[in-house]
Amino acid sequence: MTVLGNRKLIFRLGEIRFLLDLADVVEVVDQIADALDPSRSDIGQGIISALQFRHTWIPVVDPTLKLDIFSTVKLKEKIAVILRGTEGNWALLVDQVDELSGAENFQPCVIPFLLKVSAMGFYSQIRLLHNEPMIVFEPERYYGSTAVLV
Amino acid sequence: MSRFGLFWIEGFGFAVALEQIKKILQNSKTYKLPHLPGAVSAVLIEAGQLVPLLDLSQLVGTGTQLGQVAQGYQVLVESEYGTVALPADLTGKIVTEQKGELSVIVGEEEDFGTIGKLIYRNEEYNILDINILAIEMTQGFWQSQPGTGGARRHQ
Repeated sequence: MTVLGNRKLIFRLGEIRFLLDLADVVEVVDQIADALDPSRSDIGQGIISALQFRHTWIPVVDPTLKLDIFSTVKLKEKIAVILRGTEGNWALLVDQVDELSGAENFQPCVIPFLLKVSAMGFYSQIRLLHNEPMIVFEPERYYGSTAVLV
Repeated sequence: MSRFGLFWIEGFGFAVALEQIKKILQNSKTYKLPHLPGAVSAVLIEAGQLVPLLDLSQLVGTGTQLGQVAQGYQVLVESEYGTVALPADLTGKIVTEQKGELSVIVGEEEDFGTIGKLIYRNEEYNILDINILAIEMTQGFWQSQPGTGGARRHQ
């Protein structure tokens, strides 16, 4: 039997692929255009909008801003990955959700010394899937009590 | 007897000491990562390891991303700090030092990142200082200065 927590959700920001523990994911929502309220933002906290989800408003975080990733996908065309956080649910905007994959399919990949500086503060682990690098997405770096510290 | 690998990338000839060349790949797939330094155009995967692909246009000062050449070699070179990849056109040769004319350059700013030149069959190849390039280009110390004809060390 496959344990839910041992699966990874693979998503894309621009050209770059990331993986996320499926155990952190509440739901994946497409068609968010009518549920967004961009006037409810807090850029200092990385929140670009609010999203109505299950009859409540939750913060929306666009990680491309912090990661400085160029994306051609417009806000209303993005997909919201709803994550469970210490302060409640929040929405992570991604360009595309690619697939689910078992944790056993990923190989560890050490970040070499020469690339450690560029990774610092943004990610700490990379995994390989079919020899393609995927960044381990660490939600706490983007929203929650520690997000503003990094 | 010293031997060098000689390569071209968009009109820029460069030479690497053969003992520093780990492997030469052809048309290896490259990947972007967030916040790569400006002098690193992408990374590639070799034997399960990430290898930064240096953007040699920072040396040439052409203003174009030579590292983005789609069809070509990626020369994997061992530095003191780890392996780096250099983009090259699909030409390359290995020659002994005696076959060419060697000159050493010291302290000229515009040639930072090179330790000399090798003239081989009337063509000039810049002998790269791999250790300097590896550490400076991956740590974000390099910044191309348009109009100066080359890269400048910027810290």
